[in-house]
Amino acid sequence: MTVAPTEARPGTAALRAAVRPRRPRKGGPVRPSPLIIGFVLVPLLVEAVSVFWPAIQGFYISLTHWNGVNPPTFAGFDNYRRMFGDPVFHKALENTALWLVLFGGLSAAGGLGCAMFLQRERRGIAIYRAAMFLPVVFSLTATALMWQTLYQPNGMVNGLLSGIGLGGWQHAWLANSSTALYAQIVPALWREIGYVMVLYLAGLKGIDPALYEAAKVDGASAWQQFRHVTLPQLRSVNAVVVSVIIIDSLRSFDVVWSLTQGGPYNSSQLLSTYMYQTAFVNTDFGYGCALAVAIFVLAFGVIVSYLIRAFKESD
Amino acid sequence: MSTYNVSRRGLLAGARAIGAAAALSGCATATTAGGSTQQGGAVTLQSDLSSPLAEKAMQSLVAAYSKQSKYSVKLNTVAATTYQPLLPTYLTSANPPDIYTWYAGNDADHYASRGLLLDVSDTWKTMGNYQSALKTLSTDAAGKQIFVPTDYYWWGVFYRKSQFAKWGLSEPKTWSDFLNVCATIKAKGATPIGLGAGTGTAWVAAAWFDYLNIRLNGADFHRALLQGQQSFTDSKVVDVFNTWKQALPYFDPNGTAVSWQEASNQLIQGQCGMLLTGTFFADAVPSGSLDDLDFFKFPVIDPSVPDAEEAPTDGLFASSKTHNAAAVLDFMTWMATPAAQNLWTQTSSGTVIPANPQATAPSTALVQKGKAMLADAAQLTQFFNRDSTDALQNTANTALIDFIQNPGRLSSILTTWQSQAEQVWKTA
Repeated sequence: MTVAPTEARPGTAALRAAVRPRRPRKGGPVRPSPLIIGFVLVPLLVEAVSVFWPAIQGFYISLTHWNGVNPPTFAGFDNYRRMFGDPVFHKALENTALWLVLFGGLSAAGGLGCAMFLQRERRGIAIYRAAMFLPVVFSLTATALMWQTLYQPNGMVNGLLSGIGLGGWQHAWLANSSTALYAQIVPALWREIGYVMVLYLAGLKGIDPALYEAAKVDGASAWQQFRHVTLPQLRSVNAVVVSVIIIDSLRSFDVVWSLTQGGPYNSSQLLSTYMYQTAFVNTDFGYGCALAVAIFVLAFGVIVSYLIRAFKESD
Repeated sequence: MSTYNVSRRGLLAGARAIGAAAALSGCATATTAGGSTQQGGAVTLQSDLSSPLAEKAMQSLVAAYSKQSKYSVKLNTVAATTYQPLLPTYLTSANPPDIYTWYAGNDADHYASRGLLLDVSDTWKTMGNYQSALKTLSTDAAGKQIFVPTDYYWWGVFYRKSQFAKWGLSEPKTWSDFLNVCATIKAKGATPIGLGAGTGTAWVAAAWFDYLNIRLNGADFHRALLQGQQSFTDSKVVDVFNTWKQALPYFDPNGTAVSWQEASNQLIQGQCGMLLTGTFFADAVPSGSLDDLDFFKFPVIDPSVPDAEEAPTDGLFASSKTHNAAAVLDFMTWMATPAAQNLWTQTSSGTVIPANPQATAPSTALVQKGKAMLADAAQLTQFFNRDSTDALQNTANTALIDFIQNPGRLSSILTTWQSQAEQVWKTA
């Protein structure tokens, strides 16, 4: 099947004439109406007061030693230097990277898989889609409480393992330093996959079915259709999904804070939980803000470099 | 479109005004005092007693006060987890709340030394009957009183009388007696020692550190260590952990996975024999089971070290920037009276001891025994975080849970603990 070239369409000239812009008024460029200025300035102000100003303050605090009680003392880049020698920061960085790869990779793959599986309209398919999406609706703190019960030493996970004869695999999942981080990725995935699935479902719906018909006519296998039609067509959705996943993994805080608070002995500490603990439990606001700046730089860097690459490819 | 007439100049002026206001409100780190000198009006009582039972008790206290006073108090309850990080912000803000529920000891001193707390020496003039230990605890470095204690509780090794009778055991007095008791319980097939230092309640492990350190090295060394005058790599601290290692095989292997609430359930259900805990756990115990519970003093390890006990003291302090010091002092004076404290102990869980000796402590045998134990103690300590800071408590949680799971790594654990503690002291 082919698409008719637009030039051959009749009536194009008339259409063009109809949408031609009105002649500009005399006296140079159009003055935007005050209403438009208002629409731009008011949000800008709100944004400036509620986002930019606190962000700048956060950066300023990161250059000080401040415990919230004494007046802050200027410290230059002391707090940033401290990160290099801080083993907990290293562990948190490592865990965050691991989290990004595992959580990000698995939720993208799982979300796409579920979307592919549930994209065709069959009877009752909406129930399955809703079931997959349901965890997104739950509050993460409530979700965490539920998983905490499952992970208890005499909870359901261990009960299930001993029930199927794998009693030797039982662990105190959240209290064991070698399992705590992975045990927490599971509930986070459980939630994220449904969300990513919905994004991909929307993307799949937008693909022209004609492309698949053409591929079938050319004798493409199911894998070839996926590889050469579906994936390239999902590129714009991918940019959204990757940004969402990166942001979500760098701010994954609620699950870890409610399940282990970064413990046992910092083994499941993420940058976000370490930042919270430093600033709001230890009231070491200077170092806490420095950690927040580091998280911002990381998130921003990763996303911008991905987007630049994605847009270059699409050009 | 142009019927909507917003003048651009007006809009920009407004923008400038908002910007200026934002700039004037100052940066977030400003700590200077401002504010008017308004008189009268209600004073605010900021409370972290957010559990339903305690909040209700506070409400009835405030209502009872307002009924008999010309001043009025407005109760503002904040969730306990939010309260602690916000407390410095409250106290340093230009218009702070007036009165706060908090802990006596190092934490209050910390704020007092920055001039943030109101001198309540006048209230103390009406409190001549209080124990001198409580007065010392409420006095800052400059020698003035800044805290009004309302109640305290105690820690002990709790057990079920019926279980001990079944196992043929009696209360151990010394460390070796204690280890024998542990061995007997283990032989009967139960877990000797419950812990409950799982997620969110890792701090209870610090009770073991506190008591072992107090019993081996004395309360003075313990306090000095917690305030940075001693090192966690000191051989005296190593002794603490080596003693702990003798009891470690008797601990619940899941002790670092379950919360103290579950650990106290295990005790009630007879799955574990003993639990070192503060009396707060009794809030969650079914009232019928409470009669079967008893406790003994943490066993003596070195008889030459004078006994000290943990007696965390709760109470009130006030902001030095309050606009209505007369009302604040009036309320605090009232809270120090037996009448107010009776009301508090009656409406709350009933395992706390009122700070005023003339108030009637709950008459249960348990509370009387606890009160007697504290009265006999040579010194009273507060608890790890109250004798140091919450930041140091965090370093302790890390070190102690690591030790319980990996006792073989002791020396590296202590080195890490010391370096993290130094960071905390540097920031404080």
